[in-house]
Amino acid sequence: MPIAIEATDLVRRFGEVEAVRGVSLKVEEGEIYGFLGPNGAGKSTIVRILTTLLEPTAGSGSVLGHDVVRERTTVRRLIGVALQEAGLDPKQTGRELLSLQARLYGLRGRVLTQQVHEVTELVGLTDAIDRRIQGYSGGMKRRLDLASALLHRPRVLFLDEPTTGLDPTSRTLIWDRMRQLRVRYGATIFLTTQYLEEADQLADRVGIIDLGRIVREGTPEALKAEVGADVIDIAVDDRESGAARVAILEMQASGELPDGEVRGTATGYTLFLPDGPRMIATVVRGLDRAGITTGPISVSRPSLDDVFLAATGGRLSTAAQRDASMDGERVRSNA
Amino acid sequence: MTATTAEPRTLAAPAGFLSDVSAMTGRAVRGLLREPESFIPALTIPLFFFVVQLGALGAVAERAFGISDYAAFQLPVAVLFAAANTSGGNALVLDIANGYWDKLSVTPVHRSALVIGTLLGEVVAVIGYSVLLIAFGWVIGVRFAGPEVLGALGLLGLTVLFGVGFAAISVAIALATGSVRATQTAFVIFFPLLFLTPGTLPRELMTGWFKVAVAVNPITYVLEAARSFLFRIDAVVLAKGLLAVGLFCALTFGLTVLGFRRRAKLG
Repeated sequence: MPIAIEATDLVRRFGEVEAVRGVSLKVEEGEIYGFLGPNGAGKSTIVRILTTLLEPTAGSGSVLGHDVVRERTTVRRLIGVALQEAGLDPKQTGRELLSLQARLYGLRGRVLTQQVHEVTELVGLTDAIDRRIQGYSGGMKRRLDLASALLHRPRVLFLDEPTTGLDPTSRTLIWDRMRQLRVRYGATIFLTTQYLEEADQLADRVGIIDLGRIVREGTPEALKAEVGADVIDIAVDDRESGAARVAILEMQASGELPDGEVRGTATGYTLFLPDGPRMIATVVRGLDRAGITTGPISVSRPSLDDVFLAATGGRLSTAAQRDASMDGERVRSNA
Repeated sequence: MTATTAEPRTLAAPAGFLSDVSAMTGRAVRGLLREPESFIPALTIPLFFFVVQLGALGAVAERAFGISDYAAFQLPVAVLFAAANTSGGNALVLDIANGYWDKLSVTPVHRSALVIGTLLGEVVAVIGYSVLLIAFGWVIGVRFAGPEVLGALGLLGLTVLFGVGFAAISVAIALATGSVRATQTAFVIFFPLLFLTPGTLPRELMTGWFKVAVAVNPITYVLEAARSFLFRIDAVVLAKGLLAVGLFCALTFGLTVLGFRRRAKLG
């Protein structure tokens, strides 16, 4: 498969801050690539570079073989972009906004009318399309933004957190449309998200980014397998004393428990151990022996969140929740 | 991976610079018409000053300043004042702040068309304000020197140049800073220039520092040229006015180009 998107050693500094610190990636044509990371990890900066809005400080990027700095006009014709902050002129109606956007892509006449109609239907906005955008809900704005990115049938689609802050119904609709787009037009989709489920559901491949660097990359399945263990979450009383950690480490030292990472959580510990279901009993017995009372215990196959945890030492789900709750007051930044 | 049925092709094609400019101008005009809260004060405030000045000084103007038709003397002040009230930079800075500028910038649009469209939208607004104010003047009996239509068109043309030059200031600041507040207050810096003019009385009657300030203010010459269409068309006065408005536009358009370059670099 030919390469649709390529980044080579991308670096971007904003003054003293190095938002992107040497990112290289390749996305094949027809692929859905999920770019996963917490707020401020550098996702949006990379999207802005690859969509020609921002020049990299160093390194290079290309879309379908065209350099994003030197051949920016060509790149702009090939890509469709829905940015994180759905910037839409509230004074226009949905139809006016789409028609204007279509004209700037060089569409005219019947093709323009047809495309506006088609994308409006695709995102389910037919009833609202002649209303002013100022009356749209957040979900409707996102859908209109997505529609505007599709007008010229782009071959590569960049969607920057297309579902952040959306209600579950709108989110499911957008996921559904992304799958359709790929089938219908064979579009390549570069999707950034802070939602694990989104990456897991949609992406053929996932790149995990943290602090401006890609820390893991692969298919969701391969990444999870890479963790190489099941995930045991165990809550303990008196978490602060650290006695449970000592007990677990002692069990590992004595060979009672196999080797595997132990990470603290808010209520207890997460253990990455092979053969998880069988190990639960051993863990509980060992802790009991040490006089530690245990709370709820669960064992699961690793999720992308566990992949993220193993790679960065932080939970993405907690960061995403925190960011989501701050969404309303978040200020726009370039990073 | 899903196999694609055919080689996917994008429908995007070069739109052409003029098409880009006309699309952006259309959008700017739509935006203006849908924001009466911005164009109503832009029109009513100059009208208010016009009526008040006329009421206060109209009756004594002949005796005090030797001006028999004070309404004709004041009409160009109102027209130029309205033209300076344009809001092009405000619309643009909102686009930058809310991300719509980015949305437009990821299309293959000629970037300069985004700015030129905004300025042309302002031209339409200035023409709208001027025509309404000139019509009001005509109703209360203000007449042009020489052929009526030619005089009106002359005043209109000069006003459009002046208005677009003024709009370019706020557009330049919008582009350079991306700050809504900075763009709105930018107006204040240039506002005094509108008052350091022979707005109330002719220059010959002025004295002291005010006379000097008025003489160095380029807007003085624009106003005197605008007035000449109503009193006596004078080639020298017109030439000075055109030169002043030309220099003014060159300065503000230059600033706009600098702001535009800076914006393009910021991404």
